[in-house]
Amino acid sequence: MRFFIESVAWFYEYFVFFYGLVLFLSYLLLVFLSMIAIRKYLKRNTYTDNDAIIYSPIAPGISVIAPAYNEELTIISNVHSLLTLNYVRFEVIIINDGSTDKTLELLIDEFSLVKVDFAYDEKITTRPVKGFYKSTEPSFSKLLVIDKENGKSKADGSNAGINASSFPYFVCTDVDCILHKDTLVELIRPVMQEPKRRAIAVGAPLRMANSCDFEDGELIRMRPPKSMLPRFQEVEYIRAYMLSKMGWSLINAVPNVSGGLGLFDTEIAIQAGGYNYQSFAEDQDMISRMIRYCCEQRIKYAIRYIPKTLCWTEGPPTLKVFVRQRTRWGQGLLQLIVQHIRVFFNPRYRRLGMIVYPYNFFFEFLAPIIELTGIIYMIILVILDRINWPYALLILAFAYTYAILMSIIAILWDQLTFRNYRTWKEALALCAMPLFEMFFYHPLVLFCAIRGYIFYMIGKRHVWGDMQRRGFGRSTAHVQREHTPQTVRVAQDV
Amino acid sequence: MRVFYFIKDLILNFRGLPLVIQLSLIVILTAIAFTVIALFVMLFYRYRRYRREKKLAKLIPIIDDLIFAYISFENSDKPDPRFAAKSDIVAKLRRYVRGHRQLAVNRLIEYKKDLRGNMSYELNELFMELNLDRFCLRKFRSLRRFRKIQGLTEFATMGIPVADAYILPLTHHRSREVRIMARHAYIKLSKNDPFKFFDSSSDRLLVWDQIELFRIITTNENITIPNFGSWLTYSTNPSIIHFCLKLVVHYNQTEAVPSVTRLLDTRDHDLRAAAINTLGKVKAEQTEDRLVGIYNDQPLRCQIEILKAVGRMQTGRYIDFLTNEFLYAGDFRLRKAAAKSIVNNSRTEPGLIEQLMANTTPENQLIMKHCMDPLIKYV
Repeated sequence: MRFFIESVAWFYEYFVFFYGLVLFLSYLLLVFLSMIAIRKYLKRNTYTDNDAIIYSPIAPGISVIAPAYNEELTIISNVHSLLTLNYVRFEVIIINDGSTDKTLELLIDEFSLVKVDFAYDEKITTRPVKGFYKSTEPSFSKLLVIDKENGKSKADGSNAGINASSFPYFVCTDVDCILHKDTLVELIRPVMQEPKRRAIAVGAPLRMANSCDFEDGELIRMRPPKSMLPRFQEVEYIRAYMLSKMGWSLINAVPNVSGGLGLFDTEIAIQAGGYNYQSFAEDQDMISRMIRYCCEQRIKYAIRYIPKTLCWTEGPPTLKVFVRQRTRWGQGLLQLIVQHIRVFFNPRYRRLGMIVYPYNFFFEFLAPIIELTGIIYMIILVILDRINWPYALLILAFAYTYAILMSIIAILWDQLTFRNYRTWKEALALCAMPLFEMFFYHPLVLFCAIRGYIFYMIGKRHVWGDMQRRGFGRSTAHVQREHTPQTVRVAQDV
Repeated sequence: MRVFYFIKDLILNFRGLPLVIQLSLIVILTAIAFTVIALFVMLFYRYRRYRREKKLAKLIPIIDDLIFAYISFENSDKPDPRFAAKSDIVAKLRRYVRGHRQLAVNRLIEYKKDLRGNMSYELNELFMELNLDRFCLRKFRSLRRFRKIQGLTEFATMGIPVADAYILPLTHHRSREVRIMARHAYIKLSKNDPFKFFDSSSDRLLVWDQIELFRIITTNENITIPNFGSWLTYSTNPSIIHFCLKLVVHYNQTEAVPSVTRLLDTRDHDLRAAAINTLGKVKAEQTEDRLVGIYNDQPLRCQIEILKAVGRMQTGRYIDFLTNEFLYAGDFRLRKAAAKSIVNNSRTEPGLIEQLMANTTPENQLIMKHCMDPLIKYV
């Protein structure tokens, strides 16, 4: 019996070590891939002129879709901001997803909206739509407001927007996100520059808006968040977008385009069935289905990411909201793996089957479980006094220093490319966060992931709660959905 | 102190340590070293950029002032009293520009984008006076492709003629981006048949490439616009045909209609749909019979384009066809396109819409109201 236990322990120790080694090597690979991708983007940027696209009559049209639920405090300024995006052919579709406050009334008053008879083709099934509103003022002619019954999710609202969209591409965002004025140009450019494949989705980094300065819906100054929790998230976002997403983008194996901001091919999204309102990770689920559709139809697809930050969103300000959000992500990841189990190592689905899903499974889904078992194993060893403390601490230091290096490299890429923070003190303050991440933030993320898995397995439904938004220099607003850049999961494990 | 001895012990007995610990130690030391280097690089680059921006903040207003003095010297009633002749300005500019020629090029390009007419020519003159043409031309010989692209872009934006001998080799460069930019520059700058690439290019014209070319062609006053229909007939490159169709629409080249009509026989559905779209937009009424005749054999996207084209032609001859499609087509998009075309043709048949509204399904009524609503911009 003792021999058996010792054999298992020996096997487990070596498995964990080599698992960690492969994981770390994959991060190293991403560092190099992201470096190449960012350099390529920057060089290409030096000779492409945004103005040519912004004012071109032959540029493809884009629908901007933003669902809103109880957004009365921020809706007006945010819609104004969306209407002033730099692009020639676009429309803004706001979906009032059964708000119980005055969101719709405020929109009607501010934009002189009147109800219109809109021929709505329900290509994707949604909750019933109550009405469509257009502005009588020519300056707001790009605006369409859809009033629908509450669908209990952002996905349902987005689907209604996709059904009503008129253009071959749509940008999905949140109504409380602040977008860069050139968002549409920046997102459509990779589509236009794709030489051989059909670009079906393009994403861009999101950043924390918590301590940034905004004026009339435009970013004036970018700062790292002052509160600790959003600041940890800022580092996590930088890592996720600058290292992971950019790296995967180079080899066309992007696992997900964030729900906070992404441009999608309307036709493919509709053929793939749009967002799944029952999914906890609706954005990643839709991307997976879009890729599956392309593979089944033999369409050569591409999903690209750009390193330029185009969207600022408010991170969960309290621990309670944060835990709820991350638990949902955990549920979403497991749900996704179960739903797309047929994709695993299936060469028919090319990179999705051979890279994205195996990576998701082994290094995103399994990582928290292995980590948890590792902690339990260590506790047992401590109780049995079978631990070699110097060596254990050395291995811990190995993980710790490597994790710090990855975060610092991500911040370095960010600083070398866009120098987002004005002072060096702000940049250095952000660099200090990885030192503490392992002790405070990472255990929290681990707890949430495991909690999410358990919730999924016991069938606990996620309750769509109000997330307290503080607004960008305004008073509190409530939003129904929680912002879900699932992509940051990769970074959590570092 | 214990930690120090522990580390010392590890280093001295490194070879005797288990492999796992050896690897860990190597990773720890490497990670620490690279973290420090990364932090140093970050701060160094920030500092360098800060210094550069500070320097430029001083230099740019001076250069701008001198450029403005130069271009307004002969174009203004009150030339700058500081300078007796234009050569004085050039001499002074040369002093500032030495070591900052790229900055001078960038500033001149900025001005060039906003100025037209005489002042624009003055900028070109200044560009040459400062020998910036030689500076930019040197980039063509660079081994780095982005330097070549930069040089091509600078010449094209400034509109300064370059001998074909410099540009033509770059149009066959192994890098796609260099080839694209060389083509743009050639179309903009060459006096000898700027559209010759349409004859031979096998590269797919990317959408952004088309946008850039479209801007160059439609804004360049020195280009003689050819009949784009000729490439529709014999080009084997579908992207060039697509692009030429857009130009046919832009210049409303009715003389290209026979060539466009020939594309109705192509097997490529996308190309056929684009050809039908073009026929509608140039209002090629003579092709209406043909379009309606082939309607039933077409895929959905071509059918939609035929309905739209008939609507755009506004002859009223096929109102029954449109009505029939509106009432009985199975696909929602077909009915919507038919309804919009009926609205476009409503002047030829007064009372038709009211009659249709009275005898159709609620869904079709909604489609018709949608198409009639002037507030709904995109149908």
